[in-house]
Amino acid sequence: MRFLNHLTLGQYVPTGSVVHKTDPRAKILATLSILTGVFLADQWQVFALWAAFLTIVVVMSRLPLSMVLRTARPVIFLVVFTAVIHLLFSQGTPIFRFGILKVTEEGLRMAFKMGSRLFLLVIFAGTLTLTTSPTELADGLEHLLSPLKPLGFPAHEMAMMMTIAIRFIPTLLDETDRIMKAQLARGADLDSGGIIKRLRAFIPVLVPLFVIVFQRAEELAIAMESRNYKGGAGRTRMNPLVWRSRDSVAFLTVLVVTVFLVFLNSRMSLV
Amino acid sequence: MSIVIDNITHIYHRGTPLETVALSGVSLVVDRGEWVSVVGHTGSGKSTLAQHMNALLLPTEGHVSVDGVGVEENRARLREIRRKVGLVFQYPEQQIFEETVFEEIAFGPKNWGVPGDEIPERVTEALSLAGLGETFKELSPFHLSGGEKRRVAIASVLAVRPDYLVLDEPTAGLDASGKRELCDLLHGLKQKGTGIVHITHDLELAVSVSDRILVLTGGKSRLWGTPGVILEELTEREVPGLVMPPVPLFSGRLRELGMDVPVTWNAETLVGAIERCVGK
Ligand SMILES: Nc1ncnc2c1ncn2[C@@H]1O[C@H](COP(=O)(O)OP(=O)(O)O)[C@@H](O)[C@H]1O
Ligand SMILES: [Mg+2]
Repeated sequence: MRFLNHLTLGQYVPTGSVVHKTDPRAKILATLSILTGVFLADQWQVFALWAAFLTIVVVMSRLPLSMVLRTARPVIFLVVFTAVIHLLFSQGTPIFRFGILKVTEEGLRMAFKMGSRLFLLVIFAGTLTLTTSPTELADGLEHLLSPLKPLGFPAHEMAMMMTIAIRFIPTLLDETDRIMKAQLARGADLDSGGIIKRLRAFIPVLVPLFVIVFQRAEELAIAMESRNYKGGAGRTRMNPLVWRSRDSVAFLTVLVVTVFLVFLNSRMSLV
Repeated sequence: MSIVIDNITHIYHRGTPLETVALSGVSLVVDRGEWVSVVGHTGSGKSTLAQHMNALLLPTEGHVSVDGVGVEENRARLREIRRKVGLVFQYPEQQIFEETVFEEIAFGPKNWGVPGDEIPERVTEALSLAGLGETFKELSPFHLSGGEKRRVAIASVLAVRPDYLVLDEPTAGLDASGKRELCDLLHGLKQKGTGIVHITHDLELAVSVSDRILVLTGGKSRLWGTPGVILEELTEREVPGLVMPPVPLFSGRLRELGMDVPVTWNAETLVGAIERCVGK
């Protein structure tokens, strides 16, 4: 087992909670509903209620809160940057100023709004991937997109591609590590010189990697075809997704919460 | 002049939940002109040990030195060690990337700063050592057969004229004659003074070609000595995870059945002994 496996596939952390057990379709739809709700929110009280709702979901999922918060780490810069831009460049009644910079009441509000919105969007999406395995996600997406199949949308193929790509990431990292070491052993200098020199130095790693990837892809295709894989039509499943009543309950609860908060938000913005 | 591995431990991803102790307390000495085999089951730490010999991995604990130079020292010396110790990875044909066999083999010497006018000579020498003719030079390595590709890859390491050659399961996927030819090549290099470290899970092969053998199981060294010593120890008690070759296994069974044959690894000896018994 390699470390990087866990970093990349690592989004998914199984705890066996009710949130994990909920049908992926319900979770995807619920997340879409939540994202719409958060996107439409612009009152701080509503953001606070969304945060409270998030906390409830996290507690139910039995994931440590810190782990959920970490999913926002890659976008923390974006959140702060957006907030600062709004803080400094919004027009309106100044609260205080230093030099040419002034902070306005409107700016403060916008900064808070944009920051909270982005942060909540990312964290809710992160909760979905933390509680749903890549395979389940792909399965769920395939089902949800299958009504588009008559229009020629390759729902099954998209899902299969997603699953295979995720499956291959760890293998690819292992191979990269191995080939880099092999070229280092032959005296390759992979980390000195300017950018062009470094890129050129990676040719001995990239070429073998492409060869291996194409070989693997071909082997996989042959292995799949030899077992009569012909795409999605007529294919059965080992773990067919089963929509239970609790999935309806989960989705409807989230839908009601969303409708309520969107309604609340619009009432408050009128005042 | 030798590679000295002194009581090393290697831990991958130390301090994370994925911490793996791949080697613990392993020692080994390889002299120039000597053939040492490292035998062990899959996951016993053979590849990890191999990568310590040319400083691709540094030990978590313990000490590694090549001709008296410790690997923990500065970067320039690491490169010096990597030049002295050629490492042939498992399935080395996968590291091929150049357009011609010539360029592929010249890759190493160029990296180590061999003067340009000396390179053709190095390539020719490496090709002939690897048992490939001059005609291969201008071919694309990607169009060769699997066995030929492996020879090109091995030649690309030989072209640097390493003082030690470490090969990680070089016979994997080769047929019997391919194995034989490779062992002959290594034997020739050994006679010219190159130290050979041969990593394999083929105990029988190791016994027939090595000067000394290290048996690894679960990252620990179990046995270390000449093939004779290893044979004796192994027939006395089994090492878990190590499959005994058929000849000693068979001779042991015959003895259990009351036949007067010696415990031997040599098929000829066993046949002779059986003949004597049956003749009686
Ligand atoms: N890059 C790595 N990261 C983490 N663990 C590793 C890595 N390489 C090897 N290991 C682990 O170290 C142990 C020894 O592996 P290895 O040296 O490859 O054994 P062998 O070559 O004898 O099969 C195994 O448990 C393996 O999973
Ligand atoms: Mg190995």
